[in-house]
Amino acid sequence: MAEKILCCHECDELVRVPQTRKEGRLKCPRCGTTLLRQKKGMVEIMYALSIAASILFLLTNYFPFLSFHVVGNTSHANFMTSIVYLFGEGDWLIGLAVLMTTVVVPMIRIGLMLSLFGPIYHGIIPPYTVFALKVLSHSLPWAMLDVFLVGVFVSMVKLVKMGTIIPGLSLWAFMVMVFVMAAMQVVFDPQPLWEKVDERRSEKGLV
Amino acid sequence: MRAIDLGMASCHTCHEVVRLPKVKGEGSILCPRCGEEVHLRKPNSIQYTWALVIASIILYIPANVLPMMEVETFAGTQADTIISGVLYFLETGSYLIASVIFIASIIVPITKLIILIYLLITVQKKSPLRQKQRKKLYVLTEIIGKWSMVDVYVVAIMIALVHFGGMTEIKAGDGATYFLLVVIVTMIAAMQFDPKLIWDTEIQEKRKTDAGNA
Repeated sequence: MAEKILCCHECDELVRVPQTRKEGRLKCPRCGTTLLRQKKGMVEIMYALSIAASILFLLTNYFPFLSFHVVGNTSHANFMTSIVYLFGEGDWLIGLAVLMTTVVVPMIRIGLMLSLFGPIYHGIIPPYTVFALKVLSHSLPWAMLDVFLVGVFVSMVKLVKMGTIIPGLSLWAFMVMVFVMAAMQVVFDPQPLWEKVDERRSEKGLV
Repeated sequence: MRAIDLGMASCHTCHEVVRLPKVKGEGSILCPRCGEEVHLRKPNSIQYTWALVIASIILYIPANVLPMMEVETFAGTQADTIISGVLYFLETGSYLIASVIFIASIIVPITKLIILIYLLITVQKKSPLRQKQRKKLYVLTEIIGKWSMVDVYVVAIMIALVHFGGMTEIKAGDGATYFLLVVIVTMIAAMQFDPKLIWDTEIQEKRKTDAGNA
């Protein structure tokens, strides 16, 4: 096996990967950025977490999120109807931002994770691996479920003074989903998948 | 040894190390593994980042002056800007909420802009000082950027929940739109900045030309 060289994506340092290394972190000697994670069981954990996340995603978007009572009046909000309401009010830019960062981007990410780690867990490298990894890499900063959760807490405190708030099933599912998504981001390591793409390329005789 | 000294670069997306064609200036190639464009350095990184930083400073002014949220009740309309919202929470004793909004809407965007301006100036000077700390500052801007969205989400949730016919209506103010744009533009600014520039100092450049002469 040829000696592997990496290039630090933060400081451009060339780093030789010791041939004897098995797993664990490899850090850039100049700037300290983690270059390789290589944790055992990454695929299994990711598969499990992406199944959990997709179930939680469906629950979050199906059930009512919050209900709000003020003397004789009740309003229910779930994710999609709230966003549709924002569009109806003419706040389409805010509506679009909420739709993208809390529904569309997380949905795409969960979907891709599931369709990537499902087949890989069963030993198949799907043909769309490159596409999926690229989309996952570019969409990461635009998934803001954790920020939205803080926004929910702040607005609950604001609303408590005006009336009664009843959290819906969706809110609980959403809170769990935020933690599952955060765990996915900690465990997710695209590098071994890129290496699998390399292996397939060399099998096809492209390199 | 920097990758650039050998005419090599790593793909931004898949981190594959690629040898670039020998052209003067900023040559690029498509990554053989993932097909994304690979550059030695992000092209025009400094100019784009400056432009976006200045744009977000300009947008930040109406975001603070104009109201984020307008509450219409039978008693009249009450408009709140970011600052007046924070002050309201301080007065009513909700210190936690006041600090969350203050940090997310004021500290985070301003810190981010100051860090980016500091990085841009030091990179343009090719300063060799505190490179590791500056790299950490850059990573920090990438992490904290999205947390400014909290206030926009709060406005969105309030609008979606509080609509009781003529009694109480909450509407988004123009400030919310401008603030949303500030968040998006600063996030793109941080993405445009190339952290590898921090390490392109004069000493490195000199070493490179020395090696070329030898």
